[in-house]
Amino acid sequence: MLQNRVKELRARFGFSQGQLAERVGVTRQTIGFIEKGEFSPSITLSLKIAREFEITVDELFWLEGEKSI
Amino acid sequence: MKKDFRVQYPLWQMAFIVLFGFMAFSITGVSTELNQNSQGFSYSLEFNPIESIFLFGALFISFISILIFTRKISNHNKQNPDQKISMWQIRPLEYLEQDEGMTHITRRAAQKVYTFFVWALPLLAVMYMVFDLPRFWMILGILFLALMQYLIYYLEIRKHLGEEEE
Repeated sequence: MLQNRVKELRARFGFSQGQLAERVGVTRQTIGFIEKGEFSPSITLSLKIAREFEITVDELFWLEGEKSI
Repeated sequence: MKKDFRVQYPLWQMAFIVLFGFMAFSITGVSTELNQNSQGFSYSLEFNPIESIFLFGALFISFISILIFTRKISNHNKQNPDQKISMWQIRPLEYLEQDEGMTHITRRAAQKVYTFFVWALPLLAVMYMVFDLPRFWMILGILFLALMQYLIYYLEIRKHLGEEEE
């Protein structure tokens, strides 16, 4: 299962789910699904989210059991 | 999102199925008579009072519901000009495909409905083969499956859309 730091970084950058969703061009619900681990985003969406947080995709997402970079 | 017409659409379908059930009850209970002679033929339908009330009540409520339903579609299309829907489109109206996350939950809900039909349809077919059921009960069985289809889909979508913004 894919783990992520979206919720943590979103709080750090002061974005609501809706604001982040608007910036990356998806619905607020999709950001919620990603944060809860219900949904693994495409590479395109992962890149867009990582770009908003000014980090790389592998710093944002990692596989369960492996440490994030 | 929960107020999105596409999310509420299965509830509308369930209501129409119930209304159709009342109509089926009335129509299957009607007495018919066909008289044919050398000069022509006549055909008569006879409703008993309860069936008449169900039929005309269901027709009236259906008419009002269709008016509200079309109004809702119109409002949805005004509010979402880039995601317009139509009563006559082939793709089911309840599909949520605004982005990859919504497509994902739509697929999950559709998979649950598919799983339901994989079991329910053969079971219903066996029931119809084994039991000599009246026509109304056969229609009721089909309507029950249709109702369950929308219920399963709606509950799955609601489960994912239940949480408010953080």
